[in-house]
Amino acid sequence: MKAEVHIIKERCKGCGICIEICQASVLEISEELNTNGYHPPVAKNPEACINCGMCEMFCPDFAIWVTVVKEADVNV
Amino acid sequence: MSRSIVEGVGPIHPFNEFLQVGSIPSVWCPGCGIGTVVNIFIETIEKLKVDVEKLCVLSGIGCTGKIIDYLKFNSAHKVNGSVLQYASEFKMKNPDKKVVVFLNDVDLMIAGSDDLLNIGTKGMDVFVIYINNFIYYVLIEHRSLLKTPFMGTTTDMSSASPFNIPHLAKSCGARYVARWTPLHVRRLMYSMRDALQRDSLSFVEVISPCLIYYASDGIVGRSFDRMKLFHDNAVIKHNEPIENLDIRFQDKVIVGEFIDEREK
Ligand code: SF4
Ligand code: SF4
Ligand code: SF4
Repeated sequence: MKAEVHIIKERCKGCGICIEICQASVLEISEELNTNGYHPPVAKNPEACINCGMCEMFCPDFAIWVTVVKEADVNV
Repeated sequence: MSRSIVEGVGPIHPFNEFLQVGSIPSVWCPGCGIGTVVNIFIETIEKLKVDVEKLCVLSGIGCTGKIIDYLKFNSAHKVNGSVLQYASEFKMKNPDKKVVVFLNDVDLMIAGSDDLLNIGTKGMDVFVIYINNFIYYVLIEHRSLLKTPFMGTTTDMSSASPFNIPHLAKSCGARYVARWTPLHVRRLMYSMRDALQRDSLSFVEVISPCLIYYASDGIVGRSFDRMKLFHDNAVIKHNEPIENLDIRFQDKVIVGEFIDEREK
């Protein structure tokens, strides 16, 4: 089972909670700025995601979530 | 996590149906625990499959009061401590609605404790989520009502005596009392789940530090460190005697589920 991390950059306020909370070190602060002037996270290491859902539960602005990628989709 | 499996849908946040999407990002400071509490609340609503038509969310003054701006539920915003009074009136007129109230220090400690007593003694089914950030006061003489743990740089703050809010809730007749910090996400979710299923007054205190407060005193740097300060200084003691729950200066914060009296 693979998981995919989705980030809405414009919703993010750059608090960094998701980066700290991720046990698998998937996320990293990015260089780019969104329109509010914050640095959203980026998935630097998406294969390592274990789909724990912690980033999704902690994010105060509903900017990040994970979905499961079905095996069939991965092979295509 | 079955809810994470979104089939045939593009990148849409699973909670978008409960959110006023246009208002997000919220006005809260980056890293403020209130946003996480809202996230956990929506997750609880979704997991329990609560009928949102039967739900009414009320909020009071201050940063906590902004919560309803981002929720797509039946909601009302009441100023200056009248939210618990409104909750009791609303519940009397609409007994079939599930009332959830988000409070902060003013709504409960300064203006609403009499209404909490009213709700509790009448056995009304109201779920109170009290977000305690140790900060709010409307007049300078209200300032010493709550004790701020882990800091006491100003003399008026450190002279304040601690107040035991779970004890207040229990005395008012709450039959479910718990306390967590926003970083205890799963435990907070289980507490919200249990509290929502009770049919009398239930009370959950969330200790969520105000980041601005700490920043102005130059205590710690990043927002996550400030939240973690409370998380690391929390000890989980379920069913701790309610008298021991006051938060003393630079002492451990006791969190857990303290009272769970089910209906007989
Ligand atoms: S789901 Fe878990 S492992 Fe994946 S990015 Fe989020 S916190 Fe990290
Ligand atoms: S927790 Fe949410 S708001 Fe904070 S940095 Fe991560 S995605 Fe952005
Ligand atoms: S950090 Fe303090 S001022 Fe900022 S939103 Fe949270 S409670 Fe309000």
